[in-house]
Parts: sequence; C-alpha cells; structure tokens
Amino acid sequence: MSDATFLEFVVFFSAAVMILGGAVGVITMKNPVHAALGLVLTLFGVAVQFVAMQAHFLAAVQVIVYAGAIVVLFLFVIMLLGVDESMDLSIEPIPIQRPLAAVMAVGLVGLVGAAIVRARDALIIAPGDGIATAADAGTHDANIKQLATNLYGDHVFAFQLTSVLLIVAVAGTVLLTRKWPKDVADTESSDA
Amino acid sequence: MIASLLAQAGDWTSPSIDWAALAPEIVLAIGVNIILLLDLQLAETKKWAIATITGFVLLGSFVAVVVLAVTGDGARSLFDGRYVVDDYALILKALFLLAAYVVVLLSQTELEEGGYYQGEFYVLLVCSVLGMVMMASARDLVSIFVALELLSIPAYMMAAWNKRNRKSNEAGIKYYLLGVFASAVLLYGMSLLFGATGSTKLTDIGAALLDGDLIGLDVVAVVFVVCGFAFKISAVPFHQWAPDTYEGAPTPVTAFFSVATKAAGFVALMSVVFIAFPGADGVYQPLIWVMAALTMTFGNVLALRQTNIVRMLAYSSVSQGGFILMPLAFAGEPGVGPAALNAVIVYLIAYAFMNLGAFAVVIAVTRKTRSGEISSFGGLFSYAPGLAVAMTIFFASLAGIPPLAGWFAKFNAFKAVLDAGTTAAYVLAAIAAVNTVIAAAYYMRVLRVVWMDEAPDGDTSPVKSPAPVVAALAITVLGTIVLGVLPNLIARAGAIDALTGAFAG
Repeated sequence: MSDATFLEFVVFFSAAVMILGGAVGVITMKNPVHAALGLVLTLFGVAVQFVAMQAHFLAAVQVIVYAGAIVVLFLFVIMLLGVDESMDLSIEPIPIQRPLAAVMAVGLVGLVGAAIVRARDALIIAPGDGIATAADAGTHDANIKQLATNLYGDHVFAFQLTSVLLIVAVAGTVLLTRKWPKDVADTESSDA
Repeated sequence: MIASLLAQAGDWTSPSIDWAALAPEIVLAIGVNIILLLDLQLAETKKWAIATITGFVLLGSFVAVVVLAVTGDGARSLFDGRYVVDDYALILKALFLLAAYVVVLLSQTELEEGGYYQGEFYVLLVCSVLGMVMMASARDLVSIFVALELLSIPAYMMAAWNKRNRKSNEAGIKYYLLGVFASAVLLYGMSLLFGATGSTKLTDIGAALLDGDLIGLDVVAVVFVVCGFAFKISAVPFHQWAPDTYEGAPTPVTAFFSVATKAAGFVALMSVVFIAFPGADGVYQPLIWVMAALTMTFGNVLALRQTNIVRMLAYSSVSQGGFILMPLAFAGEPGVGPAALNAVIVYLIAYAFMNLGAFAVVIAVTRKTRSGEISSFGGLFSYAPGLAVAMTIFFASLAGIPPLAGWFAKFNAFKAVLDAGTTAAYVLAAIAAVNTVIAAAYYMRVLRVVWMDEAPDGDTSPVKSPAPVVAALAITVLGTIVLGVLPNLIARAGAIDALTGAFAG
C-alpha cells in the first residue's frame, strides 16, 4: 500500500494544483477566451481526481460534457458576441469591494480549512463503511451500476423532474431571444 | 453485446412507487406539456383559453391533493423516506396551488393589457409551482435542491417578463445573479453536510448530527445551508434583491414571488431545521434569531419611507418574513418545536391570502390610475368603495388587527416564541412587538390616503375590474376573514407528529 500511497499523493497534488490554478485563472484573466481555457484546466483537474478515486465513468462524463460541450459553448458565445479582446476591467464603481472580497475570501478559506483540519479524525471512513468502491465489487462497471441504482432508484423522482427543468430552459431561451411583433413594439417603448 | 448487458441487468429491481402519492406532481407535469402544445396550436384570438386551461391544471392537481388528504391514513413514504407525503406536505401543496391559481387570475388581464403577453408565461408558472409542490415533500438534499432550482429558474424569467421595460430587465438579472449565488452557497453547504454525515437523506443527517458532538465542519455546513435558504426568503442581510425585483417585475409576478416562492423557501428551511438539524440547534437558533430581528426591523424602517406602493409592499413583505422566521429561532427548545412549526405554517397561509389580496387591489386600482404612487390612491373610497373596503381588510390584516387572519398568525407566532420562556425569546418578542407598531404606522398611512384624501386629479370615474381580478379579490377577502374568525380551521395544521412521519420511513 505504501508505494501506491506516494503515487496517489503525487496525482492528487498535481490535480489539485490544476484545479486551483485554473480557478484563479478564470477570475484573473483579462481575456475571456483565456478565462474559458482556465475553466477547462479546472474541469480536467476534477476529472483526474475522479479517476484517482476509481470513478472512471464520472471522469469520462466530466471530460465529455463539461470540458467538451460546455466550454466549447462558452467559446462559441464569446466568439459570437465578439468580446475576444481584453476589456478594461480596471474601472471600479465601488472601490472598496475588491479588497473586501479578498478579505472575505481569505476568511472563508481559513474557516473552512480550519473546520476540515479539526474534523480530520472524525471523517476518515473505513473501507466498506457504507460507501462501496469499484475495488470492493471487483468489476469495472460496478461504478456505473451504483450510479444507476442511485439515479434510477432512490433519486428517480428528482431525476425525472430535472427533465422539466430542461423544458423550462428551452422555453426560456426561446422567449428571451424572441423578437416582439412589430406592431406592438412600435407603439410602446416605455422606459419608466 | 445487448445480451451481455441485459444479463448484467438481471439483479436490477425497479423501486416500488406509490403513484397515487405522486398524483399532484404528475398532473402538473402533464399539464405543462398540454399548455405548451396548445399554446402553439391556438389561434391568436383564442389565447385567453390558455389561462383557463392553466386554472384547470392547477385545479386537477388540487383535487389530487384533497383526495390524498381525505383518504390518506398517515404518511406515505416513497423512495426509502426521501419523498414523504404527509399532512404537513399536503397542506403546503394546497397552499402553493391556491396561491398560483390566484396569480393566474391576476395575470390574465394584466399581461395582455400591458402588451407583454406570451403563452409561455403559464408554462413557466406551472413549472415553478411543480417545484414548490415537490419541495413540500422533499426529504432529501438532492430533491430539495432540484425542487429549489425548478421553482427558481422559471421565476428568474418571469421577473424579466416585460422585456421592453428596463426595470423589469433589471429585476430579472438581479434576481438571477443573486439567486444563482445563493444556490452556490447552499450547494456548498449541502456538499459539506454530505461529506460530514455521509448521507443526503434528511433523517440520516439528523441522526448523524445528534450522534456525538458537532464538529466544526457540521457547523460551517449548517450555517451555509441556512444562509442559502435565507436568500430565497429575502431575510436581511440577504434581502438586497427583493425591493428592486419586486418593483421591476410585473405586479402579478411580484405577488407570486412575495407569497409562493417565499413560502417555498420557508418550507425548505423548515424541513431541514426540523428533520436534519435537531442536533445543531445551538448553531441555527442564534443565526435565525439575528436574521429574524434584523429582517423585521430593516424591512419596516425602509417601508416607512416608501412612496411607491409596490415598493412599500416589497419592504413590508421582507418584514413579514422576519415575523414568519421568528418562531424558528426557538425550534430546538424543548417543547417549543410543535408550536413553532404550527406558527410558521399558520402564518404562511394567512400571509398568502392577505398579501395576494393586497396585490390584487393594487392591480385593480392601477389599471385605472396607471401609477404606483401611494398618493394616487387618494379618494379611492369615493369612486370604488368595494376596492377601498377590500384594501382596508388586507392592510388591517397585514398590520395584525383582529379579527382578521393576520392577527391570529401574529398571535400564534408570539405565543410560540413566548413558550420558549428564555431571555432571548422575551427580547425577540419585544423587538417584534415594537415592529408591529411601526408596521401599523405605514399600513394605516395608506388607508388614510384611501379614505380621507381627495382623488388626485378629480377623476372619480368608477373602476371597472375584469372578472378574474374580482374572483381573485373574492377568494382572498374570504380567506382573510374566514381564517381570522374561525382560526380553528388551520390552528392544528402541521402538528409535529405529522412532520415526523419522515422518521417512520
């Protein structure tokens, strides 16, 4: 176990650096395309963590759906809106808010970090303690099976209602982008 | 290949589902599709039918709720106790459906006359109600979160419904950004809670938190979850979105937000507080105490200074939220739990009637005056005595004057707090008492304008209200008076043993 532990540590550490570095990049990059690429880095890091935890299926979904589809969509939007040049973000309407946000962020990191360090002993879960892993089941697709049992068993109702959420999203997108009938739009342009 | 896959699937057993218990949700889900398809097919001149059909969908779901309530013998527990249909859930489902029906009545003419009618409005409204109906039964972090998103995302779009109005756009974008931020906070808290307790089921979390001392991680998780819901119920200091969103959104939508979405936030908060957090009362009680005190005070003080009636009702709704929150600050005290739960539910029901009614009057009057200023209500009694009387009933009820519904709700809330009998309880009750007086001041100020002042421009032509608005007024006036005169109808609503049906699962 000990030789594997070091390797696990290296993988975990490098993936964590990827996630955090990407996240910091998303909010500090001036160019929106770079920010989107920072997001890809973060999402890949999460996928690596999934692999390290034997959740291969989740890792694949993470890469295909998030890094693939969603970020590509972001890039399309950035391209279509034509904001591929760096914008001037140095103008600040409320000057105090950036330092304040930094203080809040440091405070929050400190709080959560302290809580996790304090809770370390209480949280170590022994193998087979209610949480089954792929290694326990011995087959490669045990992971998928467990996911399916969860999704289509205990949480099937929430899963089904998520599809209503998709209807909402489709209807809403159509609505927000639809032009008004010409005759109505001309008679009234209220700004009150 | 298929055969090998099927062979592996052999040990799969589908969960047994009590379809009758899900009937209200299923009716709504089917209704969403029917409304969406019919809206495509109907000719432009027959679009009025969509609102009627929406009303029937809500009625169908309401019938299912009533049937469940009448035939039900105890709680029905689905999915291993993750979805529970008990008395507590049913009474709140009925409340959501009724509130939505009144909102449909109010929207019918308002949207068309404002020139921003689109049939999808009702689709989104029903989707949002579906989320609320689901929230009342959700006893699992996953379903609570899905329900919260399902009720919020349509609401973001409804706030921005008047697309050509800049204020409506502002309302939508503010509500969206802060709502998403709140969801992120909530989700973070939920993930910490799951990490610390190893389960998303509320009853399991409750058991895990009661087992041994709280660790720091539990405390952080509980605080984050409570703060996430505090955005939804616009509790100070998480209320900044409320006045702008309420003012900018179309008035029927504002009525929906201030009653239904707020009630849904409270339902979620109650579910987690009573089922998942009994072991963490030392954490959430002071938090809710401070939020309740701040909410009622800030809401009232700011409402005093408003000259726009919708904005005033927005701040008044913030402050009423503080009163509803007040009993929850003592939910964990021995023996107070049932009274606190009862007080919150009674207040939510009474508040739904009187606040929807107040908005109905505002909609009816502004159809004529085209102004949201309080001064434009001058002389209302001289040209629309019926509306003036209705407005008096609603505002007196909001102020807590007997024998109207608001009085009984406030009485119940005070009783639950004083039951706790601690110093903190007496202090909070004193703050609330002072706030009741402040609130009475601004409600009475509007009534003085209605009864005493002259009509601003001498225009005393009568107000012609369309039938749906009259129906909405009738429902709300009746509800406000009946609940005040016969409080026994709801006084026992949501007894704690009904809620603990979740533990049986």
